[in-house]
Amino acid sequence: MSSTTKLSPAAESHLPGEAGVWMFIIGDMLMFSLLFSVFVYYRADDVALFASSQQALNQTYGLFNTILMLTSSWFVALAIHAQRHQLAHLTTRFLIGAVLCGLGFIVVKVFEYGEKFAADLTIVTNDFFMYYYLLTGIHLLHVVIGIIVLLYLCTVSRGPELSQGDVNMLESGASFWHMVDMLWIVLFALLYLMR
Amino acid sequence: MNTRAQLVCAWCAIAFAVIFTIGLWPLAGMMPPIAPSLTEAELADFYASNTLSIRFGVLVMMSSIGLMLPLVAVIAVQMKRIEGEHSVLTYGQISSGSLNALIFVVATTCWTVAAFRPDRDPQLVMLLNDFGWIVFLMTFTTFITQNFCIGFCVLSDKREEPIFPRWFGFYNFWVAVSFIPGGLLTFFKTGPFAWNGLFVWWIPFLMFFGWYIVTFVMVRKAVIRQSEESDGLAATA
Repeated sequence: MSSTTKLSPAAESHLPGEAGVWMFIIGDMLMFSLLFSVFVYYRADDVALFASSQQALNQTYGLFNTILMLTSSWFVALAIHAQRHQLAHLTTRFLIGAVLCGLGFIVVKVFEYGEKFAADLTIVTNDFFMYYYLLTGIHLLHVVIGIIVLLYLCTVSRGPELSQGDVNMLESGASFWHMVDMLWIVLFALLYLMR
Repeated sequence: MNTRAQLVCAWCAIAFAVIFTIGLWPLAGMMPPIAPSLTEAELADFYASNTLSIRFGVLVMMSSIGLMLPLVAVIAVQMKRIEGEHSVLTYGQISSGSLNALIFVVATTCWTVAAFRPDRDPQLVMLLNDFGWIVFLMTFTTFITQNFCIGFCVLSDKREEPIFPRWFGFYNFWVAVSFIPGGLLTFFKTGPFAWNGLFVWWIPFLMFFGWYIVTFVMVRKAVIRQSEESDGLAATA
């Protein structure tokens, strides 16, 4: 079967997706790195306040969302894997799995924000909560965009025959979703866990 | 072919970026921005003691804004080559790009009005100053519409040798994302999300004028290639 011969060049040195999308991903990660640095910088100014405010965060929600994000990333990886093995019908299903995890992430976040609002912890409460809402809010915006991208990929992957352009599109979108996942891992560590 | 007119329009981008920055920086002295944390008295004093330089600098800034529009036009001409007859993204780019100029006109007008009668009640000076900066930096929405129209259009180019390189499309998405934190200035008077902070002023400022330079280079290349292609066609005909 030609699948093995097709795979080997991909395995050697292959940039997933098209080069241009990596410009966006690296640019976006640069932006987040600055956000993270600013957070750490201001945290150093008032460690006591940040540490005590952190106690009010619900680590269970955070952990649950981390699991959802990792699972969705796993689904996306499976989808790409299926596509490379000419199992396009599975690709769509795996992508839908990733979308459902993403939606679950949003639902958990809504509950989490609701709990914070109920406890009167808002963006103006203190610096820690300002960063908490800003960082998770900007990330949530990425999740929403990512879900739209994944839904688009679902329609692409349902085509009868995938062109090289379609494959590029799948890999580009998957790379973006992995970035959204990775940013959450950093956010989870910074906001919920850092002592 | 109107190569020369297109190139002049592209050069307007550089002229705008240079003249606007000169007005903002050395002339009006608004770089870094007037801090949103200033008290009424401090702010009124800033306008009273720098009245002439603010008036002149803002006049220069305002004069340069018209130069934003020829760039919008030449981008549209090149986008139209990609899209053909039903050029919806081109129209989206024209309308949003044109509105951006209006946003800058409103902002500079507010500062001019504040400097017009600096002996006003300090509260009113503050109102006008706030109004100017908030219009200037919070209204990211039409800017990102322009960026997204260009980005999607560039990525839709199916040519063997596309009119704009594909990375330019993704670059536009990135620039758009960097403008979004501007919306957060409504919550803050100090820190990185205040209107003189890292994420509302410095990053968007660099990204905005960087975009003018990159877009100028890309559009200029596209125009020159278009003229070469049409020369080639004329030669073979």
